[in-house]
Amino acid sequence: MNFWERLGRIDRRIIYLVVFLGVIIPILLKVTFKVEPMREVKQAYEEVEKLPPGSAVMISIDYDASSMPELQPMLVAILEHCFKKDLKVIMLGHWPLGLPLGQIALDKVAKKYGKVYGKDYVFLGFRPGVAAVMINLGKEIRQVFNSDYKGTPIDSLPVMQNIHNYNDIGILIGLEAGSTGDMWVQFAQARYNAKIILGATAVVAPDLYPYLQANQIVGLIGGLRGAADYESLVHVLGPAYLGMPAQTTIHVLVVILIILGNLGYFATRRRK
Amino acid sequence: MRREVPLFITFISGVLLVIALFIPHKPFGNLEQRFNDWYIIVSGFTMILGIDSLLLHHWNRFKRKREGWIYSIALILAFFITLIWGFYSGIKVGSPFKPNSSFLKYFYTFVFVPLQATMFSLLAFFIASAAYRAFRARTFDATLLLTAAAFVMLGRVPEGNRASVYLFGIALLIAAVILLLEAKERVSTFEKLIHYLGAIVAIVLIYILYRVLPSYLPQIADWIMNIPQLAAKRGIFIGIALGGIAMSLRIILGIERTYLK
Repeated sequence: MNFWERLGRIDRRIIYLVVFLGVIIPILLKVTFKVEPMREVKQAYEEVEKLPPGSAVMISIDYDASSMPELQPMLVAILEHCFKKDLKVIMLGHWPLGLPLGQIALDKVAKKYGKVYGKDYVFLGFRPGVAAVMINLGKEIRQVFNSDYKGTPIDSLPVMQNIHNYNDIGILIGLEAGSTGDMWVQFAQARYNAKIILGATAVVAPDLYPYLQANQIVGLIGGLRGAADYESLVHVLGPAYLGMPAQTTIHVLVVILIILGNLGYFATRRRK
Repeated sequence: MRREVPLFITFISGVLLVIALFIPHKPFGNLEQRFNDWYIIVSGFTMILGIDSLLLHHWNRFKRKREGWIYSIALILAFFITLIWGFYSGIKVGSPFKPNSSFLKYFYTFVFVPLQATMFSLLAFFIASAAYRAFRARTFDATLLLTAAAFVMLGRVPEGNRASVYLFGIALLIAAVILLLEAKERVSTFEKLIHYLGAIVAIVLIYILYRVLPSYLPQIADWIMNIPQLAAKRGIFIGIALGGIAMSLRIILGIERTYLK
């Protein structure tokens, strides 16, 4: 086996090691790259920016720990933006295992801005039956969530006063690691005309572009890059921004591996 | 009767929900509300069914000492530890997910989250290895696909445009060399000519990409995402929707009965 053919048969353990180093070195060296926000992320930012203080933003946690590296920084950046602008935050979720992640971020950012639970923000929690929950939220939130996650009746919380359905919500933001985003569009937008921004993992984001082009969603924040864009827009440089050099390295590495693999393939084919 | 009653319930529920969507007024609007409430309650009970099925499956694996039974033990133990710790924290501080709950502080944050995140993180290693092994320019379609993938991968990361100049340049240079080597071995003059022409095109492309990519790669990646990608996605979406309508009609009309088994 000559050099060129060997290029087509690199041991997978070497690839794993190179990937590991490609991720870890930029993070340890704290390298940073300037990001130029993508159009769809700017759109999302501007829609939130347009809301007058006191408007309600509903955030849905539709992910869990497996997608946390991409979606958690997105959530934190969005919460920073909302609290900076004195918007009310109503959080709920359709992925029960991810709800504590939402709650942790909500408590942390609210504390930073001195926001009070029940007055400035509320955590509604989870109810089973995704589609039915979305439809009922369009009629009356209290039909689905008559209390928050602690069991406090939502009528006793000032933040929920005069908020009954999507008409009273400035923007609905869904953070998606699966197909729940499609359901938000089908049930909350198509049926009740709710204004929706979707944030999604890089794998899910391409599925959501048709909704963006059809104006069924008003903004799309895709993957770690989207989260980094949002962080740079709200001037809070967090884990997504710091993770971009690692992502660039890995993307470049994958392209190099594809080139090497093809080189080996053509060398072997020529020999045959 | 065992089959007719569920079929009748399915038919009535399906037809009423379709009517309620188009006539959201009394009495259909109220009925839809009732159905949704029932759906939420039933969805809650499906969790119990899921837990029952999962535990029974793994208990049987352990009992019959099937291959990998040790993992079944790990699952059953983890399930009960989570359940008991969750209940304990719930009783002690009011909810297992309160900031001062030991369940949230220790179990969820330091065990569950890292475990789940690790499982997903392994994908990065597998994707890199799979891209290396499977992304071969065997046909024109495959070449088009991997070129588009490379443009999007590099166009969507900061500094990707700078790296792309070198990467695409090297790839095209290699392509040109391979074409020249291939041309030497061809007997037909026409085939030789085609290969030489290909090599020239590759070299010209290096120059074009050198001029274009640093400034326009993000726009090229956006174009791929917004035009060809969207066209394909829409086709798939329309297909899925039509399939969904057809399947729903088959279920409502009782033609599709596999759910009864």
